[in-house]
Amino acid sequence: MSEQVHNRLAMVRAERKVSRQSLAEAVGVHYQTIGYIERGQYNPSLDLALKISKFFGLPVEALFSLEPFRPLTDEVYGRNQP
Amino acid sequence: MTTTRLTRYDRSMLRLMNDRRGAAWYATAARRRLTVAAHVTLTVALGGLMTHLFLAEGEPLWTIAAMGALLLPWMVATGVINIATRGLLELRERVLDERQSAERSRVLALAHRATTLLLAAAVLGLLAAGMAAGHAPKAYAGPVLIAVLVVHWLMPLWVAGLRAQDEPTEDDLVQA
Repeated sequence: MSEQVHNRLAMVRAERKVSRQSLAEAVGVHYQTIGYIERGQYNPSLDLALKISKFFGLPVEALFSLEPFRPLTDEVYGRNQP
Repeated sequence: MTTTRLTRYDRSMLRLMNDRRGAAWYATAARRRLTVAAHVTLTVALGGLMTHLFLAEGEPLWTIAAMGALLLPWMVATGVINIATRGLLELRERVLDERQSAERSRVLALAHRATTLLLAAAVLGLLAAGMAAGHAPKAYAGPVLIAVLVVHWLMPLWVAGLRAQDEPTEDDLVQA
């Protein structure tokens, strides 16, 4: 019983130029775990999700969602069609 | 993963298990499967030689020499599987992060299920042998028990080796 949690971690990490290794060290996990989360192969605990959000200074819902994220350009420029 | 209470041993094991120098050995699923298959084969061969040495009263010299020759590749294969899993079973629980702890529990549960089936098969085999020849269970119980014990010990390693996944692709855009 596990629901897919979608995330924007890879995108935000690339945007902030943060490596998996340094993010992993900052939140106290193995760097592979960051890769697993990005690939959707592991859903982080609330504790870890909050730590990652805090690291980037973003609300948790900016990084993790139960619904698939819309492309960022759609959100910024307001395209309504998928 | 707790970083405050790690001992020197924990830190050295963590470094060892995350040493990437032998990464080519376990880079793909096919190579990991091959390593696990080699480890199983070597374990069976070592078990066979031990049985020959102790139970069949074989000539000790060549048997011990053969066991010595097989022991080194067996240890290398054990090390490769352990490093491929990043020390999933070797590191202490406090060194693992939440995903690794969950994966360790899953591996142990799967291995437990597999060895339960193996134990049931061994018991049924002994009972069947007993029906065919009355003395068989008594004669074979010892070696079968030892074989099952060895498999019970090593099954988590094999399961972990087979469940290990490829390294996430390096993100070229993001450099530390």
